[in-house]
Amino acid sequence: MKLYVKYNRVNILAAVLIFIVGSCSFYFLLQYILVHQLDDTLKTEETEIKQYRNEHHAMPEITPTRHQVTTFTPVTDSFPAIYRTVKLSGHNDMYRQVQFGMEAAGKYYLVTVSRPLEETEDLLQVIILLTIIMIACILLVGYIINRVVLSGLWKPFYKTLDTLSTYELSLQHVLNFTPTGINEFDLLNENVQRMTERVQADYQSLKEFTAHAAHEMQTPLAIMRSKLDVLMQQDAILKHEGASISDLESAISRLSKLNQSLLLLTKVENRQFVLNEQVDMEALLKSKVSELLDIIEAKHLSVNIVVEPMTIRFHRHLADIILNNLLSNAIRYNREGGTIDISMQNNALIVSNTSSLPMLDRVRLFQKFYRHADVSEDGSGLGLSIIRQICDMAGYVIRYDFKDARHIFTILFK
Amino acid sequence: MKILIVEEQPALNRSMVDYLSSQQYVCESVGTFRDAQEKIDLYQYDCIVLDIMLPDGNGLQLLQHLKQANKLDGVIIISARDELDDKITGLKLGADDYLTKPFHLSELSVRIAAIIRRKSLQGSNLLHYNEITIDIQAKTVTIKDKDITLTRKEYDLLVYFIVNKNRVLSKNAIAEHLWGDAMDMADNYDFIYAHIKNLRKKLLAAGSDDYLQSIYGMGYKFSTH
Repeated sequence: MKLYVKYNRVNILAAVLIFIVGSCSFYFLLQYILVHQLDDTLKTEETEIKQYRNEHHAMPEITPTRHQVTTFTPVTDSFPAIYRTVKLSGHNDMYRQVQFGMEAAGKYYLVTVSRPLEETEDLLQVIILLTIIMIACILLVGYIINRVVLSGLWKPFYKTLDTLSTYELSLQHVLNFTPTGINEFDLLNENVQRMTERVQADYQSLKEFTAHAAHEMQTPLAIMRSKLDVLMQQDAILKHEGASISDLESAISRLSKLNQSLLLLTKVENRQFVLNEQVDMEALLKSKVSELLDIIEAKHLSVNIVVEPMTIRFHRHLADIILNNLLSNAIRYNREGGTIDISMQNNALIVSNTSSLPMLDRVRLFQKFYRHADVSEDGSGLGLSIIRQICDMAGYVIRYDFKDARHIFTILFK
Repeated sequence: MKILIVEEQPALNRSMVDYLSSQQYVCESVGTFRDAQEKIDLYQYDCIVLDIMLPDGNGLQLLQHLKQANKLDGVIIISARDELDDKITGLKLGADDYLTKPFHLSELSVRIAAIIRRKSLQGSNLLHYNEITIDIQAKTVTIKDKDITLTRKEYDLLVYFIVNKNRVLSKNAIAEHLWGDAMDMADNYDFIYAHIKNLRKKLLAAGSDDYLQSIYGMGYKFSTH
């Protein structure tokens, strides 16, 4: 719901309520005043009749008019005056009447003077009608003004929103807002600007940290590896410590790959890749499979590929990593003589493979360093986390299924 | 062949000098930007091994310096940063190759050899090892003047072995050379064995001596006994 719709809703509801309560009170007050006025007239009439009786010791002649009906009814006793609103028989309109008892020439009479309320009601109707028209006008005009003025007032806000929605941290954009002349919006823009600058600075230092971490870790690794390469050339050492050197080498290799994977993961998590390349996935998949053919053959696996041409807006390096990790897993965790099915159709990549492993934990599968209990420490334990992170960043969906003893990984490129 | 090694870390620097010196290269080594600049201005090198992160400057500036001075030295960048941007910038500035740390010395050596061959004014595209001759440009191998047919991987292996002759090359180094480091198959190097076996068979069949030896199960060495 838009802000001004919500605001209008509250505003109009309150206005209508106030106007209803106001109109009702106005109606009753007006009616009270008018009736009171009528009662005054009736009171004067009563006084006049009594005055006439005092002067003439007889009841006055009745001359009925349209505005006043007076009757005398003989009664046995005297009683005090009552004012009330009644409906007279033979008349459609309501009347206000006063009844009082009085004594004239030794006889008691009940005097009734009635005056029609018609005029009062006409007056009331006109006043109420006018009031309603006025209220309607006020509401309508208020609504229109709110709509026009508010949407105009909110324009700078929407401009800020637009700017923010196209803002890309990794592109290092500098946000520039033109002054709006409205304090709140200028304050908002100023804060947004300051915040993005701060985030930008943090991002920058994080990036630098990543680069430094790489440097700090890779250089000692490079020293270790090069020393090992040199040591390896000495026959005496190799003869006695061949196994140790071999172990050291694979440990260094694993550490180096782990380091690279962690750095890549950090970079993906920090959104340091801009997805603006058209990547021919078909060609990439084919070259990846041929690259891995040696290991596939060494394990006596058979591969079935169904692939349609597919080009997506992505990052070549990341696409390569996704394919590499998926296919490497399908090979590594396969059994000797197993099969791998690869299909790339309708914006979906499906890789399924046979394996001696049972169904994997669907949730933990994509966590860092998750390994099934039956798996020796072979891969880095980061392959699937990296795929997951890349998919999350690119808005793709990755799914794991286990069917007919096959592990099936599906990536939906939207 | 003169090589300049620009690397801040003394230990790594020494390893590279040790390894490359034993391959008939004359190596000079420096550890700072200033020393490197001085050397570059004074001498001509066949190849410069250049670390990007130096204590007193960025190696990429040295590249620009070389370019401005119209120097034709070959350059291979060695960097701890596996950043695509750095790689692209480096190659744009005229570097011939880019190697990410940590690397195998045998890999560095084979890349340097390739750069020097490409740059060499004599235009010698032939690589000899006793009766084996490789024409790098045509990618053909002859043994005692007889052509032999090798697959792409076998050919790469042979060049790699001959450039790194008399050196023990671990299976890990061979795998990384042939398949790159994306090949994350850890300790399973069975697939290398098939290629080496085939290469050896083809060389022997063509009348070559048996130069390929398995070393204690951890690697291979290409040498005369």
